[in-house]
Amino acid sequence: MEKNNTEFTYENSSKVEQTIVIDKDDFDLVQKDSRIHDTKLETKPTTFFKDAMKRFRKNKSSVAGGIILGIIVVLAFVLPLVMPYEIDAPLTSEIFLEPKLFDAGTGWWDGEKSYSNVVYDTKNEVPAGFEKRAVTDSVLTEEGEYFTDTVNDYAYGGDMLFYTDVIGAESEFTTGTLSSYYYTYDLANNYSLSVDFNDVNDTDNYTLGEYRIYFSYLVIGDDFLYSDPKEVELQGYSKDYTDINELDLTKALEDGGIDSSTVFVKKQQPEIVFELKASTETKQSLLIHSMEVTSDNTDEAAALKVISFDDANKALLNAKTTSGQASEGYWTVLQSKVNLSQANIIYADFKYDTYELKYGEVENQEFGQTLINSYIEKGYMELDLDDYLAIEEPTDADLAALIDSFVILDDLCPIRSVEDVSVFNVFNISVISVFGTKSLYRALGYSSMPKFLLGTDSSGHDLVKSSFAGLRISLALGIITSAICFAFGLVWGSISGYFGGNVDIIMERFCDVLGGVPWIVVMTLCIINLGSNLQTFALALCLTGWMGTSARTRTQFYRFKGREYILAARTLGASDTRLIFRHILPNAMGTIITASVLMIPSVIFSEATISYLGLGLTNLNSFGVILSSNQQYIQTHSALIVFPAAIMALLMISFNLFGNGLRDAFNPSLKGSE
Amino acid sequence: MWKYTLKRLILAILTAIIIVSLTFFLVKTLPFSKPAGQDPTKYAYYVNQNILGFVLDFSTAQTGYGEVLWKYQDTARLWHYFYETPIITQYMNWVSNIFTKWDWGTSTYIQPNVGVMNIIVSKLPYTIRVNVIAVVIAVPLGIGLGVIAALKKNTMTDHIISTVVMIFISIPSFIIITFLMLWLCYQNNWLPSQWPSDTAPASIQAKGYIIPVLSLSFGSICGYTRFTRAELTEVMSSDYLLLARTKGLTKSQTVTRHALRNAMVPIVPSILAEFIGILAGSMILEQLYGIPGIGKLYVTSITSKDYNVLLVDMAFFTMIGLAAGVLVDISYGFIDPRIRMGAKK
Repeated sequence: MEKNNTEFTYENSSKVEQTIVIDKDDFDLVQKDSRIHDTKLETKPTTFFKDAMKRFRKNKSSVAGGIILGIIVVLAFVLPLVMPYEIDAPLTSEIFLEPKLFDAGTGWWDGEKSYSNVVYDTKNEVPAGFEKRAVTDSVLTEEGEYFTDTVNDYAYGGDMLFYTDVIGAESEFTTGTLSSYYYTYDLANNYSLSVDFNDVNDTDNYTLGEYRIYFSYLVIGDDFLYSDPKEVELQGYSKDYTDINELDLTKALEDGGIDSSTVFVKKQQPEIVFELKASTETKQSLLIHSMEVTSDNTDEAAALKVISFDDANKALLNAKTTSGQASEGYWTVLQSKVNLSQANIIYADFKYDTYELKYGEVENQEFGQTLINSYIEKGYMELDLDDYLAIEEPTDADLAALIDSFVILDDLCPIRSVEDVSVFNVFNISVISVFGTKSLYRALGYSSMPKFLLGTDSSGHDLVKSSFAGLRISLALGIITSAICFAFGLVWGSISGYFGGNVDIIMERFCDVLGGVPWIVVMTLCIINLGSNLQTFALALCLTGWMGTSARTRTQFYRFKGREYILAARTLGASDTRLIFRHILPNAMGTIITASVLMIPSVIFSEATISYLGLGLTNLNSFGVILSSNQQYIQTHSALIVFPAAIMALLMISFNLFGNGLRDAFNPSLKGSE
Repeated sequence: MWKYTLKRLILAILTAIIIVSLTFFLVKTLPFSKPAGQDPTKYAYYVNQNILGFVLDFSTAQTGYGEVLWKYQDTARLWHYFYETPIITQYMNWVSNIFTKWDWGTSTYIQPNVGVMNIIVSKLPYTIRVNVIAVVIAVPLGIGLGVIAALKKNTMTDHIISTVVMIFISIPSFIIITFLMLWLCYQNNWLPSQWPSDTAPASIQAKGYIIPVLSLSFGSICGYTRFTRAELTEVMSSDYLLLARTKGLTKSQTVTRHALRNAMVPIVPSILAEFIGILAGSMILEQLYGIPGIGKLYVTSITSKDYNVLLVDMAFFTMIGLAAGVLVDISYGFIDPRIRMGAKK
């Protein structure tokens, strides 16, 4: 009989009998009619690689490094393809443009370069050597604030500092003379001499000395065989520096015994001479602010300028540039020297818009007929040249009509306005030139004014694009070299590590010898033997680079080949190939790959080093070549070196962070230590 | 220990001989480096080369000796036709000249007719002076910073030091030199932008040392800081330090008496190696800052094709590298007798 209910009785703690009734239907058989097997793991299974990645992700700085690295690499491969600027052929118009992001006049990052203390050209009202249209915000120094003692195209005024050197002994007592240019003095005229001295000596080197003024000439004999130097003293030796005001030269000469009808011709070398006594102790000087010889004969006024001066700087400048020519302030100096003293000079601080200079609009530019016709053909503009040329003798009204007929049809037209037209007739052919305002960037073929984010280099290449293009070459070199080194080093290290024994010893000795050569020596030998090109670089870097991978692989093989699972596989009859490729290598791979990835920055570094040493790639603008060639502009255009250097630094830092993180992640001994 | 030292030395010498010989053959396969200068200088050079056995001197043109290197009619109106000796003979003569006369060859362009060894010796002081100052500054600073970082591990100080070290160790030296020059020379005009000449005033010469020393020591300081920090943190977590503390030593006592001494074991050999490395100097720095040292000589010899100088300079660099390696390995054994380099299991 089947018993459905089972009754149990027991005594509880208070000694009262209790009954429990258990019904069979309350129970169910577990796993009835089902196959028993292992259940799936609830947690995700992991591999060595996945685990390493997981640990890598925990390392925040390495991830950041990896991201930055990724961005730089992507930029290096994408930017050169996307950016429009030319970076292969040298460009002439785009050289050394400043970084520009904002419009000109923003004051920062606007393509303007700040200059300070530039000599100012007061005549053209522009800092000397600069184009006026691109100069903005100029601040000038006050007149009289700065002085110069060197003769300068843009200085003015000042004194003529006539000085003698210190002479050694008393016996050598010498005087220096400063004499005016020869001039035909006709004593029928009344000449007067005015000299404006400066008696303030504000240099330590000179002391104001004793001087005299005399008139000197030669008496030439009748047969021209002899000439006799004579002189008439105008003012004896003195230290009196008060200005000489209209000293009557004619009267002084007549007083000196010269007949009033005399005419001194140039052959007689008539000249007014300043003589300065030299001293044994200090340099003697005389400061002449201006000197003027005047005549009552007004016809002579212009000619007399030759022996007068009122601007010492100008006089000295003329004396220097037009030696031998009779020009204003031509002076002869004997046994002494003439320098400029305290000439006025004005300096300017200003901003120079390099874009306006290279791309702006320039007035009064000449356009030839061919160019005009080509613009008309392209539909850029309209100008009724034919009508104008048909007119026999054009009047101003016809010219005005021609200028009025100028219409810009397309914004690309480089001619922005027409101001004048000139026609030459050569052999019945009319050569026509149009003068007008030229838009330089349109003439260069740009549709709008270009903006170079970080400026351009000495070849006119956009810095951003050329840097990243260079980086691409360097990265490619790094990747190729690392791949070759990785492949060769892996094979070498595997053989050496797996087989060990004598094979290992021989292979290791080989590495010792090759490893003993500094990489720079290997590189040099390759370059001088094979020339400096990409293949040579790759070869030289591979020659030494594979040893790192090989050593690491060897160590890994030594580490794993004694493990139990290898022994087990070997007992099961696994071949060497199977052991190497299926059992040892997969375990060792992480570390080896990490090391190979880290070879890429070292290749970039090596390439840059070689370029810095002046042995870099000759036909390719790699990153190192760009860095080292921009190095010479460190003083004048520092942005050119700062940007690539910063990219290089960022690249190296992120590579390092990334690589260290990767190394730690792949290092099994660090597992779980964080 | 002595056996190991001897073995290591012999191996290094053998390696050096192989490398230098290979370099010799590779350089000599290049076109003969002809001397620069006036004819009498050239003649003196060829006569000397003839004595040393690198060229042959004939009174008439010869066949079978290759191209005529140079022909010259001397003051006695005798013709001299110079030919290159076979490379293997040149090698033999070169080696015997080194051992018998300590003659390593003659410069052709840098200082015509001057012995290469003399040139190298004259350039060495510049390199050594700059580098010694850099090392003397870098070693104490680097180790000091490393100790601070290790003792304050995982604090703000440690993080700052480690970050700065990481940054400066990553940035290539030429970038650091460039920024230093930009900042100190060109923007602020504090320092000369080129190595001052020997005739410059002492104050300017002293200023000239600042950039080379700074740029050389940045890297070293960072290297030593990282190395010391790593070694010291490892030692600090060892059991014997805990024992020392439980025995009642203060923290500073344990650090100075136990931890530092043990942490120094791998650091000291690297300092020794650095002192040897001083001789090699930094090529980039010398090139960029115009220091007339041995690195600049190397670059000049390549660009001016003065291969005799280049050859010896290369040999010099190689030997320096090998010597540093040997010294590091040997000094381990002397500093820490527990380490038996090259010992069997």
